[in-house]
Amino acid sequence: MNKLSKMIIVALFTTASLATLHGQENAKLTGDEILRLSDQNRNGWTSYAVTTTILNYEDNELKEEGLFEVSIKGMDKTLVKFMNADVKGEYLLMVEDDMWIYMPNTRKPIRITPLQRLMGNASNGDVARTRYAEDYAATLVREESVDGVRCYLLELTAKRDGATYKRIEYWVEKESKRPRKAEIYLLSGKHYKSISFDRYEPAGGKTLLSQMTITDRLRDGRTTVMKYASYAEKEMPAKYFNKDYLEKLR
Amino acid sequence: MSSPAKIFLIIAAVFFVNLEAGAQGVEYRFSILDEGTLSKLNLTTPINYQNLVLPQPVQGNEAVSNLYLGYGGLSTSLNVSALSNNLTAPEYNYAIKELSYDLSLSDNLDVTVGRKILKWGPGYAFNPTGVVEPQRSPSDPTDRLGGNVGRTLISMNAFFGKSSLTFVYLNDAQVQSGVFHWGMHDYALRANTFLSGLDLSGILHYRQGDRLEAGTNWSYVVGENLELHGEFLAKHGSPALYHEILFSDNPNQLFSTYPYTAQFSSSNEIFYKLLLGEQYTFENGLNIAFEYYRNMEGLSRSEWNQWMKFVKFQNGIQQGSIPVPPELIAPSRNNLLWALQTLSPRGTMRDYLFAREYYSAGSWSFEFIQLMNGDDASTVLVPTVSYRISEFFSMYGRFTAFLGSSESEYGVLFTKNSTNLGIQFQL
Repeated sequence: MNKLSKMIIVALFTTASLATLHGQENAKLTGDEILRLSDQNRNGWTSYAVTTTILNYEDNELKEEGLFEVSIKGMDKTLVKFMNADVKGEYLLMVEDDMWIYMPNTRKPIRITPLQRLMGNASNGDVARTRYAEDYAATLVREESVDGVRCYLLELTAKRDGATYKRIEYWVEKESKRPRKAEIYLLSGKHYKSISFDRYEPAGGKTLLSQMTITDRLRDGRTTVMKYASYAEKEMPAKYFNKDYLEKLR
Repeated sequence: MSSPAKIFLIIAAVFFVNLEAGAQGVEYRFSILDEGTLSKLNLTTPINYQNLVLPQPVQGNEAVSNLYLGYGGLSTSLNVSALSNNLTAPEYNYAIKELSYDLSLSDNLDVTVGRKILKWGPGYAFNPTGVVEPQRSPSDPTDRLGGNVGRTLISMNAFFGKSSLTFVYLNDAQVQSGVFHWGMHDYALRANTFLSGLDLSGILHYRQGDRLEAGTNWSYVVGENLELHGEFLAKHGSPALYHEILFSDNPNQLFSTYPYTAQFSSSNEIFYKLLLGEQYTFENGLNIAFEYYRNMEGLSRSEWNQWMKFVKFQNGIQQGSIPVPPELIAPSRNNLLWALQTLSPRGTMRDYLFAREYYSAGSWSFEFIQLMNGDDASTVLVPTVSYRISEFFSMYGRFTAFLGSSESEYGVLFTKNSTNLGIQFQL
């Protein structure tokens, strides 16, 4: 056996071993691990900013369009700046499970609940909470195909009372670990929303979610498209995420 | 031209000259609103019978422009308004509502100097712990015409994670006829922290000539739908001014001098203000807020009745049903005007219930405010319908009805109801 043949055999063996290991690694992943990996497709950095556009449709007709600057610091702090002229100067702050909205005409942070909507079908949590692994415990239910793509089906249950939703069925693509779709249920068991994670695009050297669609299951014909652009790593002082600092923000 | 007018014009000019710089860091908000008002007067009220004592307009129009500018630590809010009605000549007003500088001393410490609107407390309609706030009306909590004006202050804020400590020194100093006058020294301290979902603040407030008051406010979210909040503020005695008639056995009398005194300024009785509230959001987005407010500085039912008897006596003199020598008619009218100062837009009596329902569907939003006097059941109802024409234009219709018996707080007011139609442009 010449040297080249030996090298080919070694390479084939190594590839086969790695493939087996990869398969074993996938097989060994727990629901929580899959969820944590899937979060990386929505959050490129520990602290970052992203421009979010929300398009609200009723019976396929565009009713409302909102532009927001979303700043995320660490695992549990989000600041959303409202950019449209009619809501300019408003901010939404989310720290862990707690949310405040600041409006320039009331001049103070107002505590709000997870069900209060930012715009259309988008809950505040849909915009502000993108790290599901922090909010939900995941159980791997089974593997199944969604539109021909092999996916993990995870059952997510809220770790705390303040999480945006109480129960989510969450499909994550097996190969890429990208979120594929989600079905959301209220505490009462009612089917509340469906989310499809439509598109991923390169951003800052990573491939990140660029569009998702939320369909309201309680009100027929209402959908919300959320588009993400201009992802950038960004460090901000911790005080920006203190509710009493909101009135100082520009 | 007065100094404030010059300052106002300079700020506005700097803004417009630097409009192009907006993209390079000047944050601005601009709105212009035009609101027409049509009122139905309460012609039988004893405090303004047949609209003769203090004539009120039945038609009016108010155009208000608000400009906010922020650049670095500097921020200002300017207000220009034009008011016309069927009684008086048009009025033009301007105000520098805010002009302040925020200095960041470190990642944890900030100082603010200037005139600024600060609001403390989670209450929606009432804020007993809002000791640093400008006055506002519970039936218009969002200050739709932007009439609130900041107070002159120096504040220091320290931030520690989810907690903060704020010290504010306020002084409503004024320049009158070119002479500077200090106002009362006013100090407030607030410590805010977060304990297992409970947003909790402790507040101390001392105003020169008054006594120390202490209080707390809190908010808590239960599950997906419910937010609970409360405020409490208490002190010994009260600096509130009360009409002397409240403490007299005889409501049928005339006062020759200003009849208000701080009756309880030296009292050791505890005067407290309490607010308990909630807001609940339904799955379809309907939001309902409810608040109960008790203010021990307000009039009791018997004090209110005494005041009403006094007002009716003065009204009887004005109408001629109570005969008096002619030289007493003018003093009686003065007594009626003085008596009006008992009425406060923030509530005159002790117990109030507030409710607000809000629902938004597409471009339409609906708000319904109910404010009820818990002592006499008189009520203010304020339904509002708003339509968002575009990102820049919106319009609204607002109806305000004052309901109650002829001797109740909201039944005795000048107006039975009013309708406002407004259109707003925002940039």
